[in-house]
Amino acid sequence: MQSSLLLSNRRRLRANPRWIIGIVVIVFAAIYVFPLLWDLATSLRPNDDIYRYPPTLVPGSFTLENYIYVLTQMQGFLRYLANSIVVTLATVLIVLISSAMGGYAFGMRRFRGQNVLFLAIILVLTIPYIMYLIPIYMMEDRLHLKDTWLGLVLPYVALNLPWGLLIMRGAFSTIPLDIRDAAVIDGCGEIRMWWRILVPIARPALAASTIITFVFAWQEFLFASTLMPSNNWQTLPVGIVWMRDELQTVVMGRIGAMIVISIIPVLVLFLALRDFFIKGLSEGMLKG
Amino acid sequence: MRPQLRDRLTLLFFLAPALAFVLVFIAFPIAFSGYLSLTKYNYAIDKAPTFIGLVGYFRTVVSDGFFRTALFNQLEFAVAYVIITFVVSLAVAIMINELRHGVHFLQAIFYLPMIVPLSLVGITFAWILDPNFGIFNTLLHALGLQTRPVDWFGDPTTAIFAIVAAQSWKMIGFALIIFIAGLQGISSELREAARIDGANFFQETTRVVLPLLRPYLLIGSIWILIDSLKVFDIPRVVTKGGPGVSTLTLYLYSWRLAFQRLEMGRASQVAYLTAAIILLLSWGLNRLFRPEVAQRA
Repeated sequence: MQSSLLLSNRRRLRANPRWIIGIVVIVFAAIYVFPLLWDLATSLRPNDDIYRYPPTLVPGSFTLENYIYVLTQMQGFLRYLANSIVVTLATVLIVLISSAMGGYAFGMRRFRGQNVLFLAIILVLTIPYIMYLIPIYMMEDRLHLKDTWLGLVLPYVALNLPWGLLIMRGAFSTIPLDIRDAAVIDGCGEIRMWWRILVPIARPALAASTIITFVFAWQEFLFASTLMPSNNWQTLPVGIVWMRDELQTVVMGRIGAMIVISIIPVLVLFLALRDFFIKGLSEGMLKG
Repeated sequence: MRPQLRDRLTLLFFLAPALAFVLVFIAFPIAFSGYLSLTKYNYAIDKAPTFIGLVGYFRTVVSDGFFRTALFNQLEFAVAYVIITFVVSLAVAIMINELRHGVHFLQAIFYLPMIVPLSLVGITFAWILDPNFGIFNTLLHALGLQTRPVDWFGDPTTAIFAIVAAQSWKMIGFALIIFIAGLQGISSELREAARIDGANFFQETTRVVLPLLRPYLLIGSIWILIDSLKVFDIPRVVTKGGPGVSTLTLYLYSWRLAFQRLEMGRASQVAYLTAAIILLLSWGLNRLFRPEVAQRA
């Protein structure tokens, strides 16, 4: 009797704000997603509909001509897309390998200076990137690495490694040491044991590192715009901006189409690996 | 002795790739730009850096008008950006945490901007806020809130706040992750106890939830603060530091010194001063929130 009274009381108190909160959140979410929807809407409108004065919220007509034009007539855009894909995939691959190796060493081995070294690497996350950029630029200028895929991949790996190491160390340190010892007793070499037994166990952490590295490399602008001065080597975030500046007016439909196309790969990956992304980031940010 | 040596070598094998990248592309550059900041070095003209000690820093801080402008713009940006990002993401996190249905879908909407490159966020906002064909002015006009179109990115008084809006829009997802993680860790028993004692939603939030959330508020605000000093992409892409120098930020100024004027020494000074400001502010925030955390624990 008393408990049911409490329950109904509680419900009444709780039910009241939740409706209001729900409506507020939905309205806010609608406003929030608007810029992306507006890019999409703009990319699907013909030019005379986009550049109408005063502008209209509801499209007058739909067309795919912007997408067809961008994908068939703009060589530059396809080149940027290729650059982005190559640089991002190479970065992800190298980060995965080296952070799986380093994460094992930091998570399951004991050695002198371990914690200090790890802390130093993590501290890197808070240092302004521009501090590395100046010497790296001079280095790459001397070594003729500017305007090459490798010249962008190498610094990207270094910038993303701390995240990868943080996540992989976390994963390896939860694996019981018994598993390792048992494998060693069975005569399994350490490197083989790492590759055959431990790396498969750490697969969720690898997924988290993959999505986080992919998202960061795909959208990086500062290094890409500095280390890739010639147009032919630019990645999407830099190249699309360049096209907008060059072509100037009356091309927002095409720019919108380029933005939408450039978001699709990362969106697909994000939707597939979202939980890993959120979990990896929250772990990293909370420890960092 | 031999197995021990072998053990050492295996350890080195595992550490080598990560250490190599960190040494070559992070540790060395930090040290080298530290050295550069103590020199006068024009990359196009000078054969080698000339060591001048702290004189360069002194000049930058005391007599470089652009540095002072950049610092002022940076602080203006940081204050607006930290407050807006913090308040909005905390409010959204608390509200979403109350909901029972559609939580995943709603969270996804707020996480979505995290995957959009900042430079393209800049282009998108420039298009929405365009003085002639932008939809924002039209909507304001239709709602009767505006009589004359505003050029948000082109007006020196509004430009920096337009950048705040665009960058906050992207960053809120990151802060949301931290706050939601914190909210999920709060036991529902405490909150129900408060409710049974007659606390309404507002009291429950301010008296129970927020104090328990404090460590997360600290981490969230430090990340937002660090991010606020990295603002570069949007001023570079959309406003080019202008109109005039109204959106010249520390990052942008350092970048321009280095890669447009090739003054590597001066650029490194600005970069180091920026890093010093980040450390100082993070430490200050830590001091601000920490004592109470310790008390509670």
